[in-house]
Amino acid sequence: MLAPLSTAVIVVAVAVLLLAALYAARDRLINDALLGAVALLEVALIAQAAIGVARIGDLSAEKATFAAYLFSLPFIPPLTTLLAIKEKSRWAMVTIGVGAFAVAVMTVRLGQIWSAHA
Amino acid sequence: MPESPPPAHTATGPGRVIIALYAVMALAATGRSSVQIAEYFGRAPLAYVLSAVAALIYLVATGAIIRGGRRAVRIATASCAIELAGVLAIGVLSYAVPRLFPDKTVWSHFGSGYGYVPLVLPILGLWWLRRFRTSAPAPAAAPE
Repeated sequence: MLAPLSTAVIVVAVAVLLLAALYAARDRLINDALLGAVALLEVALIAQAAIGVARIGDLSAEKATFAAYLFSLPFIPPLTTLLAIKEKSRWAMVTIGVGAFAVAVMTVRLGQIWSAHA
Repeated sequence: MPESPPPAHTATGPGRVIIALYAVMALAATGRSSVQIAEYFGRAPLAYVLSAVAALIYLVATGAIIRGGRRAVRIATASCAIELAGVLAIGVLSYAVPRLFPDKTVWSHFGSGYGYVPLVLPILGLWWLRRFRTSAPAPAAAPE
């Protein structure tokens, strides 16, 4: 259950990244559609953390690193969105993009740990 | 004397992106160092302590850039400078004396494990903070 969810997280994170790039190109600010996409990412990350914690016993090694990724990840979208929401320039979208990119990279690492040790 | 009117605050425009990058790095370094120190400190104590130091410096830089103001700019500038020195020194050391670093730190190999963000970020930070250093006591260097 974890691997497909991680894949979904990566897909949504990349979608948020692309949406932010599109908004930056069109000089648009955060709106409900973008917030919705970020919220979807956040829900997926929380679900991933819950399932990951429940399944952590399946890992033969790297449990602590795995847990660190699981718990760190859900903090990123709210953090970067909070930073971006008050910024009324294109830099808001770059901030959102940084967060989405970090989520994608960290989830790839999480998936690597899972497939190597579970 | 500033050549162009400086932006209102360190936390606006590109500053937001720099804060986001710093916050993510702070999170990553804190996570990594707490795992390393809690789980296998004996394996590479130097590397792990350095990870924790890096995490602390990222936190200080994040807070100072969010805060803004003359004192915070000075603190942020100092943390960026320490970071740059750290990533360069540890980067060289990790290639020159690899046995000192049996395990990775945020700064080893110039931050290659983090897409070289640890190397680029302090440079970006210093570039951004430079324009806020109005009437800072210049210690006889680089004429503006």
